[in-house]
Amino acid sequence: MLDVTILLDGLAYGMVLFIISVGLTVTMGLMRIVNLAHGAFAMIGGYFATMLLGAGLPFFAAALLAAVAVGIVGAAVELTIYRPLYRKGELAQALMTFGLTFVVIAALTTVFGTGIKPLPIPPALNGVIDIGFRTYPTYRLFLVAVGLVLALLLWLLIDRTSFGARLRAAVDNPRMARAVGIDVNLLFTVTFAGGCALAAFGSVIGAALLPLEPYYALRYLVLFLVIVGVGGIGNFKGSFVAAILLGIIDTGGKFLLPQASAYLFYGAVIILLLLCPHGLLPAKSAA
Amino acid sequence: MKTLRLLALCAAGLMWAMATVASAETVKVGVIATFSGPFARWGEQFQQAIKVYQKQHGESVNGNTIEVVYRDDGGPDPARAKQLAEELILREKVQFLGGFVFTPNALSVADIVTEAKMPTVIFNASTAIVVRKSPYFVRVSQTIPQVTVEIAKWAAKNDFKRIITAVTDYAPGYDAETYFVKTFKAGGGEILESIRIPLATTDFSPFYERVLQQKPDALFIFGPGGPPTVGMINTWASRLKPAGIKLLGTAETQEIDLPKVGPAALGVVTAFHYTETVDNPLNKTLWADLTTMFGKNTVPDLSSVAAYDGMELIYRAVAKFGPRPTGDQAIGFWRGMAFDSPRGPIKIDEKTRDIIQNVYLRKVEERDGKLVNINFETIPMVRDPWKDEHPG
Amino acid sequence: MSVPLATKGLAAATPSFQIANAWHVVPWALALVFYFTAGGYLSLGTHVLIMILFTLSLDLALGVAGIITLGHAAFFGFGAYAAGILAARLSNDPLLGLAVATLLTGLFGALVGMLILHTAGVTLMMLTLAISALLAEFANQAHWLTGGDDGLQVGRMAPLFGLFRFDLWGHTAYLYALAVLFLWSLAAWRIMRSPFGRSLDGIRQNPRRMRAIGTPVWRRLVVAYGLSAAMAGTAGALEAQTTRAVGLGALGVLASGTVLVMLILGGTRRTYGAFVGATVYVVVQDVAAQIDPFRWMFVVGILLVAVVLFLENGLMGLPEAARRVLRGSRSRSGGR
Repeated sequence: MLDVTILLDGLAYGMVLFIISVGLTVTMGLMRIVNLAHGAFAMIGGYFATMLLGAGLPFFAAALLAAVAVGIVGAAVELTIYRPLYRKGELAQALMTFGLTFVVIAALTTVFGTGIKPLPIPPALNGVIDIGFRTYPTYRLFLVAVGLVLALLLWLLIDRTSFGARLRAAVDNPRMARAVGIDVNLLFTVTFAGGCALAAFGSVIGAALLPLEPYYALRYLVLFLVIVGVGGIGNFKGSFVAAILLGIIDTGGKFLLPQASAYLFYGAVIILLLLCPHGLLPAKSAA
Repeated sequence: MKTLRLLALCAAGLMWAMATVASAETVKVGVIATFSGPFARWGEQFQQAIKVYQKQHGESVNGNTIEVVYRDDGGPDPARAKQLAEELILREKVQFLGGFVFTPNALSVADIVTEAKMPTVIFNASTAIVVRKSPYFVRVSQTIPQVTVEIAKWAAKNDFKRIITAVTDYAPGYDAETYFVKTFKAGGGEILESIRIPLATTDFSPFYERVLQQKPDALFIFGPGGPPTVGMINTWASRLKPAGIKLLGTAETQEIDLPKVGPAALGVVTAFHYTETVDNPLNKTLWADLTTMFGKNTVPDLSSVAAYDGMELIYRAVAKFGPRPTGDQAIGFWRGMAFDSPRGPIKIDEKTRDIIQNVYLRKVEERDGKLVNINFETIPMVRDPWKDEHPG
Repeated sequence: MSVPLATKGLAAATPSFQIANAWHVVPWALALVFYFTAGGYLSLGTHVLIMILFTLSLDLALGVAGIITLGHAAFFGFGAYAAGILAARLSNDPLLGLAVATLLTGLFGALVGMLILHTAGVTLMMLTLAISALLAEFANQAHWLTGGDDGLQVGRMAPLFGLFRFDLWGHTAYLYALAVLFLWSLAAWRIMRSPFGRSLDGIRQNPRRMRAIGTPVWRRLVVAYGLSAAMAGTAGALEAQTTRAVGLGALGVLASGTVLVMLILGGTRRTYGAFVGATVYVVVQDVAAQIDPFRWMFVVGILLVAVVLFLENGLMGLPEAARRVLRGSRSRSGGR
């Protein structure tokens, strides 16, 4: 029964990681752009949501609205400063998005101060639920549920809709896609916006686990990059599996061997990467 | 002739006036702290408290302007701290150094501080050994053993028999763990396990599941402040509080983080040297001025009172010795000095140059719809136990 | 025919050593002038020199050999701790410490390289990241060896050559770092221009083709990585010896990210790219932090964004960009 608890814990943790980093796997993978500013977009969404909550909006409305807002911001940013980056190569992309992150951190520090911004989860989620053999924090079950729903929706979108098909075509072979009339540029803008919106959504609902403060963007960036890297760039199913797997390994390991806990996460990453250098699930295309 | 004499008189008068003005000099105080990155909060609080102090006491002492120069060390970065100290001493020609959030940063400047005989007031760095590294170091903050020993003693005296410690896996955490375990065992208690939690941890549930399995009377935690601390308390509240396991700590329930934890923190008992609700006039005016100057959500913390008291030391030194006190004069003056701080009465230890202060035992309660720490016991004028055990 | 095409390709890939030989004196002369005029900023200058060396090492691994690494600070830190521990426990002779630290770090780098260099792209990047994270965690936990979070305090180094005392204000340190940087720069430039370096160029651009013509790609990469690690280790050792303190930050992800930023800022595969990038970054950050300790990230961030948007391949591309702008305006005004 203990194992079930640990499994649930690992699952919940993995879900948060997945939700936040799936946006990055979309932008980095689908658009092949090194977007180190991903955490910054997530963070902006979180701060925006705190303002909405302060204005009295209910939790979910705030989360969705923040996601939409950041999506719009993402689209605007993509059209202006990310466009020239596509042809400049990964190093230039890394540099610029890194600089962008710095700017966002400084701006948010100026506006909101250096402290943690509380993003209170609705009281309904705050308690414990009886799952039979023990009580378990409701919030974590909620995270697992949201993660599963999100994963399902995304899979349906990418694998089963014509939008998804066009997206996969544009990623596999942009030239050919353009030749058959797919508007690759528009697709990229929409996808980037979607990735940013996902990041923002994730940061809002995960704020109780990853608290919101101006350094958020850099503090967790490594985590997001690792999930994407292990899962395989552009492979959103891979990043789902990577997030869950790493979440469970990390959580389970910390429970069983707390002395080794510092080495578990990155140790697991190294082993997984060496075993599956092309990503956890072979990526033929975007899905 | 008359015009000439008048002119000469005016010139003399002007020169005398200039001389008087010139003798009022600027006293520069260099503050090396963290203003950016994950620990930016420290620098912000230092600066706010210093500004409040200067508003309350004026920006000059006997006509000598006290100018504070801030430098960002970016976090624990001993090489950078050293470089900044050199710049401040050689370039800015500061008369005093202050700040130092992190122990490695304080340790790294020890030798140049000694060479330059620069009176240095440490506003935080809490590892016990720090003040020994230079005869020109004085500490106004706290040492970890100082406060940890008191909570352990209290726990041993109050029916806690079996405790698990969970500290963040870095040097200050080890300090806390060592002293809690030692003191609690000496008081007859049993330590079931000592867990070390990596600094980068965001999800504390696996560690707390381990605690839950062993069902201690209480859990003692030590966190680094900020997001990890909030996580540590929240996870306790959701997992262990329902099982009746109490939470003990030191700095974790400071009011600056308390609202982020919420009602989950009610009932947590900690020992610390600064409780925001302590009732003395200095504390009241500090609060009032902070909220007036920086917004109603500003909360003073251990960093604020340390910087505030640090400025008091500096102002007193300038008042006594003028704008150019020597290091020996300042340190000699500060040794054994006792005065009132917003936290209560404090004293600089005559021999060790470390801080002696009250340690308060307090509990998190709700007052007027707000979560605060309320003192229920005071242990007066506690010295740093490490120094007593390791006489230098 | 294919031969001229091949040489053209190589020429295009060669780092642009176009600067006339006389101009090479300038940066070193500037460095010496700085020594005499620096005042209290000498230790900042030493830090810049050390960062240049570190950035140059990354240019070898990333710029030339194309090894994408987000964990290069692991080698810097390794060298720093090695030199520091050596000085604290065995011998405080600076040159011995420098040599041993460099050697050890080079070996460590080669070992790591052997483990991970068969991968490429994002996988390789993540592996470098994970390894440096593990090393940082080890350094944190091995309190008895490294001082852990408190940092390692290194005692006073013995006089250089038995003659030059390491004074407290950094005079000897600066010249020491400058000399080491000079020697390593010569070595690095030699390596980059040698057939070995040229083959690395080829490997970066098209590893498959290089394999097809029989180049032992993996072996070359491991050697390059090891050399780069050794260089980074020297930089770390210098920092340990001159500042006499080593902190965990030397190993951290932010340090790896920063050196990457410095290299890209200056420009990869440019003779003085590392020099310009490191100097500009460190100086701008220092000045910005002096003016506003809270918001210097703003200034640095905007600088980075601007450099990418308006320049090709970093700051070393500035003279070309200027020339282009001038030529453009001249042809316009020239009447058509």
